[in-house]
Amino acid sequence: MMDLYSEIIVDYAKLKKYKKRMDDADTVKEGVNLSCGDEIKLYVKVQDGKIESLSFEGKGCIVSQASTNLMIERVLGESLENIHEILKNVEKMVKGEEYNKNLLKNVSIMENIRSYPNRVKCFMLAWRTLEDALKELNMD
Amino acid sequence: MNSKVLYRDFPILDRKIHGKKLIYLDNAATTLKPRVVVESLKDLYYFHYSNVHRGIHTLASEATNLLEDARRKIANFLNASPEEIIFTSGSTLSLNTIAHSLVKSGILREDSKVLVTTVEHHANFVPWQRLSKIYNYKLLYARPTGRMGTILIEDFEKFIKEEPDVVAVTGASNVTGQRLSIKRIREMFEKSILVVDGAQLVPHTRVNVKELDLDFLVFSGHKMLGPTGIGILYGKKEFLEKMEPFLYGGEMIDKVTLEDTTFNILPYKFEAGTPNLAGVVGLAKAIEYLENIGMNELENHIKELTDYAINELMNLDFVELYGPLDETQYGIISFNLDGVHPHDVAHFLDESFGIAIRTGHHCAQPLMLELSSKSRLDFPNATCRASFYVYNTKEDADALVEGLKNVKRWLG
Repeated sequence: MMDLYSEIIVDYAKLKKYKKRMDDADTVKEGVNLSCGDEIKLYVKVQDGKIESLSFEGKGCIVSQASTNLMIERVLGESLENIHEILKNVEKMVKGEEYNKNLLKNVSIMENIRSYPNRVKCFMLAWRTLEDALKELNMD
Repeated sequence: MNSKVLYRDFPILDRKIHGKKLIYLDNAATTLKPRVVVESLKDLYYFHYSNVHRGIHTLASEATNLLEDARRKIANFLNASPEEIIFTSGSTLSLNTIAHSLVKSGILREDSKVLVTTVEHHANFVPWQRLSKIYNYKLLYARPTGRMGTILIEDFEKFIKEEPDVVAVTGASNVTGQRLSIKRIREMFEKSILVVDGAQLVPHTRVNVKELDLDFLVFSGHKMLGPTGIGILYGKKEFLEKMEPFLYGGEMIDKVTLEDTTFNILPYKFEAGTPNLAGVVGLAKAIEYLENIGMNELENHIKELTDYAINELMNLDFVELYGPLDETQYGIISFNLDGVHPHDVAHFLDESFGIAIRTGHHCAQPLMLELSSKSRLDFPNATCRASFYVYNTKEDADALVEGLKNVKRWLG
């Protein structure tokens, strides 16, 4: 139980740092979790092929909010190439496959999400939205 | 009514969930199955199974008798005649059948009006809405102006002058648990075709279609101890007779030539394809089981539990309750915890206490919008929903309340 609702994950869910509107974003992408109605709006700013700035608006469960904050923390400043590698490993992590823990860093504190198939959608909402945003920016 | 005795009839209630005794409060989604229902399916498949109708052999005639006996039993339960009882896969198919047949028959056409409410389950909302786009009839929405998603009689009254051709309403909301006064609605819309979504009503009370003068009533077997995949469409004979079937195929025909097809008599005209015999048999057995308990006893037991749980939950200052919270609220309680998302609530209750509740928009997104505008919380577009049935006890309600206090402590 406390694997998914550990203090650190709950703290990440409540983090306010990245929860804000961005007026000069290069793209704004909305994502919806159809199973529960959670919505997220992701603001992405890119500079020289790297994520320069990333923020979000929206509400959701602890899993989705913590995952979003962990994602932003992890991919800020990363090159697109690295982000693709990170995305691939996040997929592996939730599927319960071998993945590169060193690459995912703090994101792996949520690796137990693999034991809760009903919650994977909550976890993946931000990541799928980021993937869509990058596609829109033609950066994949 | 002794729920403790009933417990023995439901083997799944012996299950442990994360080491805790299962407390099942997701009955509005589906109910658990008593032994007798499961045994009836086994008996059918082991000893009497065949396809029904047109068969000469013994098994075919036994199977046909089982199907038609069940139809008579269900007709009696509703005070309908057997030819008005159509077997479907559930409320969703029943409602789609009604809506599609009405437009195909020209009973609903370009200048027609259909009144629905914004508290409907999507199954009684989307078919009417989508078909209005194709057939250009006008859709009217009665919106709940009462407490937190509660629909009032005045909310309907303002549409009397519109003289809607069809009034399609839920008998009881699957989110707020509010029972609508079908009697008053019938009186208000005397000339309209009245379609009642009974998915959350029929499992809890005896609905007399003649006394209420319903034109159509639908419900699902699995929400009243029956198997999944079986539902009922009751339709008044005078309508069914003049309506074009929604589904075409085997069994529903009379004569097929290259030029055209004529249809079988009622109710077979609306039952294309091999029917769900096991589902039908299981549902009839479930109704028999409920009647043995007594529909009045069942109704009182669940109302008592609902009132008890509402009272207990009202003592928790971090809980926002939806629905009327009065004598019209029945079997279902929707709520949110201040500062905790419903998904987290449900996850925590399951893992720490073995309590099963449902969370999400409950297939009622228009109602979520209504609640969102009235909520004093940062409304998550979803609610937690606890719902009771025959085997639930006050201890279950107590466990829920204790569980919620813990959730608030950990995650709030």
